[in-house]
Amino acid sequence: MSEQAVDTEPLLAVRNLSMRFTVGRGFLGIAGRMTVDAVTGVDLDVREGETLGLVGESGCGKTTLGRCILRAYRPTAGELRYRRDDGTVVDLAQLNRAQLRPYRRQIRTVFQDPNSSLNPRMTLLQIVGEPLLANDLARGDELRDRVAEALRMVGLRPEYMHRYPHAFSGGERQRIGIARALITNPRLVIADEAVSALDVSIRSQILNLLEDLQEQLGLTYIFVSHDLAVIQHLCDRVAVMYLGRIVEQAPTEELFSRPRHPYTEALLSALPLPDPRLRSLKKRIPLRGEVPDPANQPAGCTFHPRCPYTRERCDTDEPALLPVTDTGHVPHLSRCHYADTLELEGVAARTLEPTSLRNAEKTSGAEEVR
Amino acid sequence: MNHMSDTATTQPAAARSQPPLLEVRGLRTRFELPEGVVHAVDGVDLTVYPGQTLCVVGESGCGKSVTARSILQLVDPPGRITAGTVNFHVGPDHPLLTARHPSRRDQAAVRSARDGVLDLAALDPKGTAIRAIRGKEIAMIFQEPMVSLSPVHTIGHQIVEHIRTHEDVSKKEARDRAIEALRQVGIPQPERRVDSYTFHLSGGMRQRAMIALALACRPKLLIADEPTTALDVTTQAQILDLLQELREQYGMAMLFITHDLGVVAEIADAVAVMYLGLVVEECGVDELFHDPRHPYTKALLESVPVVGPRAKRRLATITGMVPHPYDRPTGCPFHTRCRDTMPGTCDTTVPPVLTTTEGRQRTVRCLLYESAEALHRGTVREEVSR
Repeated sequence: MSEQAVDTEPLLAVRNLSMRFTVGRGFLGIAGRMTVDAVTGVDLDVREGETLGLVGESGCGKTTLGRCILRAYRPTAGELRYRRDDGTVVDLAQLNRAQLRPYRRQIRTVFQDPNSSLNPRMTLLQIVGEPLLANDLARGDELRDRVAEALRMVGLRPEYMHRYPHAFSGGERQRIGIARALITNPRLVIADEAVSALDVSIRSQILNLLEDLQEQLGLTYIFVSHDLAVIQHLCDRVAVMYLGRIVEQAPTEELFSRPRHPYTEALLSALPLPDPRLRSLKKRIPLRGEVPDPANQPAGCTFHPRCPYTRERCDTDEPALLPVTDTGHVPHLSRCHYADTLELEGVAARTLEPTSLRNAEKTSGAEEVR
Repeated sequence: MNHMSDTATTQPAAARSQPPLLEVRGLRTRFELPEGVVHAVDGVDLTVYPGQTLCVVGESGCGKSVTARSILQLVDPPGRITAGTVNFHVGPDHPLLTARHPSRRDQAAVRSARDGVLDLAALDPKGTAIRAIRGKEIAMIFQEPMVSLSPVHTIGHQIVEHIRTHEDVSKKEARDRAIEALRQVGIPQPERRVDSYTFHLSGGMRQRAMIALALACRPKLLIADEPTTALDVTTQAQILDLLQELREQYGMAMLFITHDLGVVAEIADAVAVMYLGLVVEECGVDELFHDPRHPYTKALLESVPVVGPRAKRRLATITGMVPHPYDRPTGCPFHTRCRDTMPGTCDTTVPPVLTTTEGRQRTVRCLLYESAEALHRGTVREEVSR
């Protein structure tokens, strides 16, 4: 993220966004209706050219939030203020289908599962070229040229454009998905668990590709993932979600080294670190119980039934997402009453213990020899 | 967590004096399909010591799950074990060795058992002997508990059935043991949960129920096939802690299959890295992470994003992809993607197993090392180092 990007108007400003689903209860819905608050009052700024990570456990609403921004869902409340090329701002949440059309090609997505998100009966040319046809951007030879260019960009050979998805491996299929997302020259790409289904060696190839493309094309990413290691590697800023709310939002380094919300600390402590020597140094924060049912959320702070630091105030007062004091120019927000007083432990503190530091030096030395 | 690392450091010394619990040698399993033969497991060697955890890591399609299933003869047709031995230490006076087995194959295998070591690969896959091993001596848990538990029976019913298959106990007693087993895996209100169905439980609770079921008969070895892959990080941490705790409590050994190197670092005593049906490196967990010898292990470690100060560095990649199972490369299976491949050597010769013993035994299959001695020093052939 460059310095001047901080000062300019965000590319997308999400304000008080909520998404409520109404579902039937009981067999075929005969026991009446109930509501599930998947996303509640989310405020989020996405700045041009940055990578914003959305992290949380399954059921926390990160995918729903991503889909609301894509306007695959119509949010029940809130605004999606999107800054157009010419600098004017439009609220995507209020637009109807026809009005949304021009924005459909500016905000694109890469899906998690490369096997089920590609139509097995379409060739690469049809799959990757479809967004161009649908938006009436190109046809005929021009379409072919642009598909070839997109395929080349993601590291696939253009000669393959008449083949079907089954002829490609998992990693290549994910490249096809990325080519399809990028062919309309989008400004914002939402990658929903885009590397979660891939093997280690393929995952690193795709992560590097995403970084290269961002640099070349000046893309903005919203990267949805449950994998904190991938998030730390790729993202400039991170928003942690729990039960439909953002509980903490901060620049990546700060979030990992000094978390300000107990849930973030627990998430970080649960992360297995690929270094066996850290086993004994590690302090794990045990979380009691499980994520509550989003249809039946606890009163007060939604995290209080599982929080190891909970106090009386937490079960009645719901905290707001507020900036913590003593942070730099990029705000560090936390939804905790005691964000300023709790001494929470991040990852860096653990890995920089003196003993492990020596080990780290030793291994980096070994790498240089190689 | 402190007590865990202590045992991890003291165990190898104790383990060396003991004979291995499970010793897999030259195991080959292949699937004969109309389109061609898939050599899913192509000469695997593994050693599990009593009370220790051996992690098997590798990418999808490397044969780690088939290896685990082959140990228990659970490979579905057209899969077939074609060669190799799976020597399991059942103990010299195990009733299995004196019992009458209707199958001729079982009789022959039991007759040739020496010092209480039985070759599981020689048993009849449908015979009485392997059934007495499955669930009782070696238990297995799977990635997706929803698929491997019955949706139409209660949890309690399944555990009771399991206990009564292997032990001569009354229904009442078995039910009490089922409740106790559920309590030990940390399921709240086990007296009530024993009568619930799998769909009543959350993902983490289901995996706990699966562990309770697997451990109800106190197996000597637990094979865990990616048990935490479908779970969230916080739930994964809980399940890993639980498995460690139970392993220590029961003195059980574990064969843990995973693709996540973070999980390996957390729980393993020893690690076996698999690539295309072959164990390319097997060694202690510290040696693997801090002094890897096989080029594939090195590449794998470098391509993982790490949380911590080095998170932002660019990831190393392994070029290309895992070859298609129908056309395996000749020679070393990794030579098509290896950085240090030696043309004329790596593509013709299947690397032999090189073994050094310092600390825990380390075995590597790589032609870069001319001899076991060179492997011990970590020096590669001259033409490569230049």
